[in-house]
Amino acid sequence: MASDQVTLQGVIDYDIDRRKRFVDFKPEDTSRIAAIKEMIERHADEHAAAFFNYLSQFEEAAALFRNPDMLREVKRLKHEHLLAMVSGDYGKAYIEQRVLLGALYSRAGLDSRVFLGAFHQLMQSIGRKIAEMFARDAQAALQHFASVNKIGFMDIGIIVDVLVAERERIIRTQEKAILELSTPALQIRDRLLMLPIIGLLDSMRAKQLTDNLLHSIRASRAKVVVMDITGVAAVDSKVANHLIQTVTAARLMGTQVIVTGLSAEVAQSLVALGVDLSKINTVGDLQGGIEEAERILGYKIVGGSEPAAQRARL
Amino acid sequence: MPVPILKQGGVLIASIQTAVTDQDLVQLQDDLADKVGRFRSGGVVIDVSALDVMDSFATRMLRNLAHTLKMRGATTVIAGIQPDVAFAMVELGLTLDGILTALDLEEGFDMVATPSREDDHGVG
Repeated sequence: MASDQVTLQGVIDYDIDRRKRFVDFKPEDTSRIAAIKEMIERHADEHAAAFFNYLSQFEEAAALFRNPDMLREVKRLKHEHLLAMVSGDYGKAYIEQRVLLGALYSRAGLDSRVFLGAFHQLMQSIGRKIAEMFARDAQAALQHFASVNKIGFMDIGIIVDVLVAERERIIRTQEKAILELSTPALQIRDRLLMLPIIGLLDSMRAKQLTDNLLHSIRASRAKVVVMDITGVAAVDSKVANHLIQTVTAARLMGTQVIVTGLSAEVAQSLVALGVDLSKINTVGDLQGGIEEAERILGYKIVGGSEPAAQRARL
Repeated sequence: MPVPILKQGGVLIASIQTAVTDQDLVQLQDDLADKVGRFRSGGVVIDVSALDVMDSFATRMLRNLAHTLKMRGATTVIAGIQPDVAFAMVELGLTLDGILTALDLEEGFDMVATPSREDDHGVG
């Protein structure tokens, strides 16, 4: 919720005068709109009906009509918008009202193409009334309609901004999810995999992680897996349970799992919670875990810090 | 279809190739318990890599089988549990505790064929 406020705020904060410049809105437009204000207010319901009746015939807008609460809210806002459209005051409050309505459209999954078509119907409905009002002066009718149209196009600009912002927000959320979900199993020696886990471990991710690990075990014929959970922010009984499941599943495939990186606080809190990790082979840090794995696999480290230091000196 | 049992040195290999009925598994238990004594086998490998379903009955049968064969003097290894099967088993709480598992037949064979199977049988 917080993040969608941030992106929509960008739409609200966009310079209102720039928006007016884009549609060539001039002072004389304000006075023309003032002249037809009362007439449009009187027929606001009819104009709104033109919009919604047109919308209702398309299945692309069906989601909106299936949700009566949302529909009522949208209709109320549309009515409010029609009155605001001819109020002559196109300040921040006006933009906010448009953004609110746009966000509702987005939530209803309203297709932008359908919205544009319906909006055109609304403008036509207004246009017909203006034509009636200036029946003897076609020139004046056109001018007045053009003035309202400018506001209409400004509105479309805002709604499109909102729809784009909403879509971007969804993409960002998904990107974040994918980033968090990707947990590569890295091969560091023949038949030895390392699985660094970073971030939050919920059931969804634990499932994906286990699945991914099991298939990696199969592909690389791993005998030992070192699972490092230094980067897991919080380990509670639920997370511990996921880890136990992962370890058990790997064991069923004949692979040993060594869990490393349980910090002092995590170990203490797990003991306090009464989580039984006795079935899991745990080693203090990643280095220890890899050394243990190499021991199991039968690797022997030749040399050490002494000879290495000597070589460095030569 | 009954599960064929092959003898390779001191090891018996039972390779479950198709979906087996509960009856087949009972039959397998009888056959293995008999043959382990007859051939004086020290190890048994049960290859389940062709199975894409492992239900609670099958798991219980395998566990019983391993315990039975242990009493007859043979070590049992379950080899080749598929990733998806392993995952489903864990979710169902079927963990095969205390029973040896191996990645595939080859691996399982090595585990029971070498006399010092508790020791390293990796690269070193």
